[in-house]
Amino acid sequence: MKSKGGIRLAKKLRDPVIIKSTKNGINLVLDPELSFDELLKAIKEKFRESEKFFKNAKISISFEGRDLSENEQFEIIEAIQANSSITIMCILDRDEILEEVIARKTNAYIEEHSASTGQFYKGTLRSGQQVESESSLIILGDVNPGAKVVAKGNIVILGALKGIAYAGAGGDDRCFVAALEMDPVQIKIGDFIGRSADKVRQAKAFRKKIKDDPIPQIATVYEEQILIEPISKGLLKNII
Amino acid sequence: MCEVIVITSGKGGVGKTTTTANVGTGLAKLNKKVVLIDTDIGLRNLDVVMGLENRIVYNLVDVVEGNCRIKQALIKDKKYPSLFLLPSAQTRDKTSVNPEQMKKLIDDLKPDFDYILLDCPAGIEQGFKNAIAAADRALVVTTPEVSAIRDADRIIGLLEANEIKKTELIVNRLRMDMVKRGDMMSIEDVQEILAIDLIGAVPDDEQIVISTNQGEPLVGTDCLAGRAYMNICNRILGEDVPLLDLDTKNGIFSKIAGMFKKN
Repeated sequence: MKSKGGIRLAKKLRDPVIIKSTKNGINLVLDPELSFDELLKAIKEKFRESEKFFKNAKISISFEGRDLSENEQFEIIEAIQANSSITIMCILDRDEILEEVIARKTNAYIEEHSASTGQFYKGTLRSGQQVESESSLIILGDVNPGAKVVAKGNIVILGALKGIAYAGAGGDDRCFVAALEMDPVQIKIGDFIGRSADKVRQAKAFRKKIKDDPIPQIATVYEEQILIEPISKGLLKNII
Repeated sequence: MCEVIVITSGKGGVGKTTTTANVGTGLAKLNKKVVLIDTDIGLRNLDVVMGLENRIVYNLVDVVEGNCRIKQALIKDKKYPSLFLLPSAQTRDKTSVNPEQMKKLIDDLKPDFDYILLDCPAGIEQGFKNAIAAADRALVVTTPEVSAIRDADRIIGLLEANEIKKTELIVNRLRMDMVKRGDMMSIEDVQEILAIDLIGAVPDDEQIVISTNQGEPLVGTDCLAGRAYMNICNRILGEDVPLLDLDTKNGIFSKIAGMFKKN
């Protein structure tokens, strides 16, 4: 008996009503053991205390910790609106498992489609400029040193890549970066980074590049490294 | 019809001020009415390069703040009566002027001139924004160095974002002997990266150092740099001038050979 009383005391010390904020409004964490009338009293008190904080807020509400009948929910809302200037717009079902499932499915959808849908960007990206996309990106122009292209899906550059490209920005390392002229400062695919070799930068190297016809190349992740190779039909079959 | 041209580069020390002085003087030589505006508030030196420092009474900030009329602040050039300089303030900073004030100032000057040249400060902050606010056209100066080209690229991007449609490139301080050896980027290399129209290339010429120190722009004089600047001026007027052959050695023999060629 004694120990039971002790637990009860501890519970009583805990706040019977806790207000947590969520993305769209508030979440009420309610004591499961208190009688409903006592709980209602506690709620009234709580909202009277925090009236100034909420002012004329219009919010959604959700409940946690206690199964409430429709009537009980209605009574609580009445109590809140009577004791504060809050307007409750709607009641949200708070189901964490459901939320998680939805989040996972949307992410999976985005990931799946980021590689198969694309967005065009026309123009040369100059130093300091950046383009980002939730899907794949096709750049019609050059990506100069100091510029950056970021896509959740693949990146295709119909021009020279001399800056930074980051494909599979959501973490998908099956993505690729392709360019007509491949001379990147850095390529990142998923979680793998490749950087350019520390070549001696000479004017001669610049000249040579113009004279030699550049070969279209593609960068993929192979054995946890960024691999750059010329684009061939066989290769494309394996990737796409 | 007045054209407002900003001379800019991003990086410092590539020759914006020297270019402004020479192109401005060159245009005046071609009988155009020209005003040069030094927008580098706090670090003025266009007046020094023009050799007009001792004539400054009022400056750009005085005009903007209403301490004087524009006409009072304009300094007439020593040689060319159709060339004027609006000097910048030395004791203030870039925040003393905003882009709207700059636009208004230039609008007030437009009826009286054929060309307004703006000498832009280095960097991409307030001073740069002031300088490009009213510009119709931009000359981007770069040297054939990776760092200068990188900054020029950034500047070109910003000019595009600010809807300055006509942006042309000047490659400054070119050394043909180094280009030949493959130790310096050529005009083509620079153009390949920046991908804008070239309006001129100026060789690295010690005459430039002498002329800036003396405060006498060398445009139009018979040295390589002087001719290169004159060509740029003609191209600004819309003439189709072929690119100067910069490939003459600076040795005494080629100078003598040059003298013979003239005769």
